[in-house]
Amino acid sequence: MNGHCNVKVNDTVEEFHRNNSFSDLLIDSKKSVVHRKHETSRKKDEDQSRLPALEAAYTSILRELGEDTDRQGLLRTPLRAAKAMQFLTKGYHETIEDILNNAIFDEDHDEMVIVKNIDVFSLCEHHLVPFFGKVHIGYIPNKKVVGLSKLARIVEIFSRRLQVQERLTKQIAVGISEALQPKGVAVVIEASHMCMVMRGVQKMNSRTVTSTMLGVYLEDPKTREEFLTLSRSA
Amino acid sequence: MNGHCNVKVNDTVEEFHCNNSFSDLLIDSKKSVVHRKHETSRKKDEDQSRLPALEAAYTSILRELGEDTDRQGLLRTPLRAAKAMQFLTKGYHETIEDILNNAIFDEDHDEMVIVKNIDVFSLCEHHLVPFFGKVHIGYIPNKKVVGLSKLARIVEIFSRRLQVQERLTKQIAVGISEALQPKGVAVVIEASHMCMVMRGVQKMNSRTVTSSMLGVYLEDPKTREEFLTLSRSA
Repeated sequence: MNGHCNVKVNDTVEEFHRNNSFSDLLIDSKKSVVHRKHETSRKKDEDQSRLPALEAAYTSILRELGEDTDRQGLLRTPLRAAKAMQFLTKGYHETIEDILNNAIFDEDHDEMVIVKNIDVFSLCEHHLVPFFGKVHIGYIPNKKVVGLSKLARIVEIFSRRLQVQERLTKQIAVGISEALQPKGVAVVIEASHMCMVMRGVQKMNSRTVTSTMLGVYLEDPKTREEFLTLSRSA
Repeated sequence: MNGHCNVKVNDTVEEFHCNNSFSDLLIDSKKSVVHRKHETSRKKDEDQSRLPALEAAYTSILRELGEDTDRQGLLRTPLRAAKAMQFLTKGYHETIEDILNNAIFDEDHDEMVIVKNIDVFSLCEHHLVPFFGKVHIGYIPNKKVVGLSKLARIVEIFSRRLQVQERLTKQIAVGISEALQPKGVAVVIEASHMCMVMRGVQKMNSRTVTSSMLGVYLEDPKTREEFLTLSRSA
């Protein structure tokens, strides 16, 4: 479902991808980046029916870790943990069409629009441990602007999944690109990975920064520089 | 294993607990606070043998969430997640006696010793989601001082478990109290709970503060105030 980022983008961007060896992004697909072949395997109304199996799995985990599943604090933990996990992966049954809610407006504006410091929370698909941080999004409209909160909602769709930060960044950028056909999209994510902080190398202050630049942000260094400057100011 | 804090402490502390309605702490038990009746249910050499069951549980969870367990990013995730969970709960097979390593020294010092800003990471036992923050520990030696890193190691023993922040604070305080028999122990934890930040009420900046004061820190307001002032300074 979340394996790789097949994308069909507008011509300008396509050209840049070709010039920059991103040919895997040009796989001809009638489906948008949001619709994967397993998209239908997670429907919201199925969540309730899947809870018993999730609860059984979590009960097994608690026992294997050596805990006493009958003590007061853990009695309802399998259910709570199952519901929590379903919430943290609810992005699987959301699509961009649903959340955009037709909040795209015709506006004669072609200057940069930036929404920064969007808190993002996701789950590392390798260890099932959270990673979180901030997303900065910039786009240059092509006569169509989008409701600002919709950018944050697009972040939510893709972040509430089992993710890899690199893929998350690209999916957000391509999602916005598909929905608006803007002149350019830039997405930067700076996050802290609990799999590195709580375990493993245990480096408290490490941060991972990934970025995706599409359209004029990819083509024009000055545009990119303006975005990076404006999004990083305190 | 981690259900309630049965403790047998030195007489001075016992008296204060009696006076302050902590009678549940005075259950006469030959076992120290570290040894619970389920303490023996998690041995380090058993971890390897428990991995297959944990992996099966995680595979089931991934499938029930609607993911494709055969895609590249998820192929070894059940194993990684199982090992990560075992690491995050490794405190169950550690005891204070083991880690103290005889690092208790006779020292004619009876002024406050504070170790602050100890990073702490634990798992919420209700949702199996991390919470993390900082621990500040103060104690007044009674002719016996402890190696400073041992205070942080005691934090590790109790935090690497399925926890409730209130219990974690008390266990750290009582653990130090048992090991050193000091004149007083103070422990303050300020933490951020992912179960409140990533899901549920989703309040990003909320912090939970808990404290445990034993001995002279409980009895003498000025001593307590000195600790709180010194541990909070930037």
